[in-house]
Amino acid sequence: MEMEKPQKKQVLLFYCMEAQDLARKIAAQSDHIQLQSINWRSFDDGFPNLFINNAQDIRGHHVSFLASFSSPAVIFEQLSVIFALPRLFVASFTLVLPFFPTGSFERMEEEGDVATAFTMARILSNIPISRGGPTSLVIYDIHALQERFYFGDNVLPCFETGIPLLKQRLHQLADSDNIVIAFPDDGAWKRFHKQLDHFPMVVCAKVREGDKRIVRLKEGNPTGYHVVIVDDLVQSGGTLIECQKVLAAHGATKVSAYVTHAVFPKNSWERFVHKNGDDSNKAFAYFWITDSCSPTVKNIENKAPFEVLSLAGSIADALQI
Amino acid sequence: MNCTLSGAIRNVKNKGSKDYLPKPLWESKLRNWNNGKCVFPLLSTTHARLSGKVKKGNHYYQSHLHLREAFHNRKTRIYHQKTRESGEYLPNRRHQMAASPAPPPPSLPYTNKPLIKTATALFHSSFHRQRFLSRNRARIQCEQSGFENGSHHHHQQQQQLQWTVDCVAGSDPIHIILKPPAATASPMPMNSGLKSSKKVCLFYAAEMEALAKRIAAQSDAIELRSINWRKFEDGFPNLSIPNAHGIRGEHVAFLASFSSPGVIFEQLSISYALPKLFISSFTLVLPFFPTGTSERMEDEGDIATAFTLARFLSNIPISRGGPTSVVIYDIHALQISIAFPDDGAWKRFHKQLQHFPVIICAKVREGDQRIVRIKEGDPKGRHVVIVDDLVQSGGTLIECQKVLAKHGAKKVSAYVTHGVFPKRSWERFTHDTGGHPDSGLTFFWITDSCPLTVKEVKNKAPFEVLSLASSIAATLQI
Repeated sequence: MEMEKPQKKQVLLFYCMEAQDLARKIAAQSDHIQLQSINWRSFDDGFPNLFINNAQDIRGHHVSFLASFSSPAVIFEQLSVIFALPRLFVASFTLVLPFFPTGSFERMEEEGDVATAFTMARILSNIPISRGGPTSLVIYDIHALQERFYFGDNVLPCFETGIPLLKQRLHQLADSDNIVIAFPDDGAWKRFHKQLDHFPMVVCAKVREGDKRIVRLKEGNPTGYHVVIVDDLVQSGGTLIECQKVLAAHGATKVSAYVTHAVFPKNSWERFVHKNGDDSNKAFAYFWITDSCSPTVKNIENKAPFEVLSLAGSIADALQI
Repeated sequence: MNCTLSGAIRNVKNKGSKDYLPKPLWESKLRNWNNGKCVFPLLSTTHARLSGKVKKGNHYYQSHLHLREAFHNRKTRIYHQKTRESGEYLPNRRHQMAASPAPPPPSLPYTNKPLIKTATALFHSSFHRQRFLSRNRARIQCEQSGFENGSHHHHQQQQQLQWTVDCVAGSDPIHIILKPPAATASPMPMNSGLKSSKKVCLFYAAEMEALAKRIAAQSDAIELRSINWRKFEDGFPNLSIPNAHGIRGEHVAFLASFSSPGVIFEQLSISYALPKLFISSFTLVLPFFPTGTSERMEDEGDIATAFTLARFLSNIPISRGGPTSVVIYDIHALQISIAFPDDGAWKRFHKQLQHFPVIICAKVREGDQRIVRIKEGDPKGRHVVIVDDLVQSGGTLIECQKVLAKHGAKKVSAYVTHGVFPKRSWERFTHDTGGHPDSGLTFFWITDSCPLTVKEVKNKAPFEVLSLASSIAATLQI
């Protein structure tokens, strides 16, 4: 006895300027998703001057906003839209924030450390409710597992992951039966091992030797395999490079990487790019990322070894929830 | 129902506070507030969008609804922040009743209490002091320690204004208006002698450092504290509050400045973090509340970013001292649909400056153009001071200045609380050294609410900066 799946709902998708490409891809995935526009201008004093086009027409529709908080400066204008949309008599409101920033470096170690991730979660928890109830908040591979508890009851967080995209891609590889998944640290293992448990696994760890921290193999054996390092995000890339060296030293035939969020501050992706005719720098055979961090993705889309696995399909499905 | 006053307010003894507010409003507050003490200083004007659109339970906005109703009937008065030192309200403040009875009190807890102060208190209080003092035969001398530029200006105005002016440092041309002594006290020292001044730890945004230092100089009870403002590689803030244990049990304040959207997030993080560190009370001092200034909600689809900012502030967590007190100067109110900007300025300020003859300008439409005309009053032969809450491009001020000069004003000056001046628009204002009011201003007074502007104009005539430091220092004692 099967449950009838509810009818697909029509969704109006607004988006921030930097995520325009991703928004287009999402709309292309489904007839039920329609792009809408916003006028993003500024006043002379630098503050945003925003206007939602045909605000009256969205009444009674399911509305969604694709946000991208790549830096503190762009947060305010997007939040103004996010706070305004639910109050325009929409049937429901979903905020899609593929990459939840700020949590990645912070450790609350002492009293006095300020958790900006908490600030962000607080702000998002205060999105007004719409006629459809609390706002749904779609986030991919949130970095700190405990951040899910930061959100208040007025939002419904929906934690998604980009791992299925990786699995799909791995199946397409010629050597798909020769793959081993490596995790750069225990945190990554905790996050992902259940989704990848049909692959053999290797876990690395950072250990302290005197003054230095070096990466060591903790469990598993990469010898003779194509090893894929999996993590949720990459910043400077230092950890990945260390892992790759250790894996190669232990006999991995090829090393690739997958991260959901390619943050790469200050263009740190440059150290991974294959330079033409220079074999020595082909440390990574493939480097898969998603298009969650739009500004970076634009820069590296077509540069080997980077390949972008788009979240568009996954987001289009999430909008039907 | 669970409304509590902030701890700070509980400390204030309100002598004669009943004279402070129109009765219906005051009584409705009594019903709400636990200990019946009512310092709630309310502002003359509200952000029209805010009062219209915020959820009912939020007390700040509810109270402004009262005012807004009353205000349209022109029966409300502008209230000044009562200061402990003065111990009384400024004279000739007789309040008329609000025309309409106050709406029922809010039923939900509110989180933060904004204190909307008006910086024209700086002017107003000075003028009043002159009258008060002359009645009591006390005089305050004008000290001009080491200040070259402005001294001759002030001597000219000595007879009329009786300001007490001092400077932070010999070379820093920022005016600090000091409070007058109480009637029985001897000529006052820099620190007004407060009976039970409460010690306040003052944190501040990086761009507000100069003003924070001036505030701390006003009182021994205010102590500056630092914050580590760093950034991660990805541009997000990496913040920490050194010696967080040391502020437990203390009254804490944060001096913020939202000069551009990029700096909001880090300051907001601090505002959200501080109240949770077991402090006694938390006050957010935001001299200039931005974003409201150019917006008009005309169509559905217009987004009021001021509302967004107000939401952020309303969600500052509660501390042991109760809801956060939020201090804002001369919040820019946008009249809903009918008033012109210049009528707006009149509404905001005229009651505070009513012992001066008043001139009101208005923009009128002539064909396709809008030009400034004088609506009431006569500037002939006088030194006219144009008063407004803020200045952006300065277009309005310049038009007014020209019209006033054309009608025979001898000198024209200007005062705005907030010198926003986007894109260096202050450059259009030149100094009139005498006799050419159509081409320049004699003085252009601004406060230090917008520190980035202050840095640029402080040594350039006709600009003079009046510091909010003493006013803020007094507020922190509430």
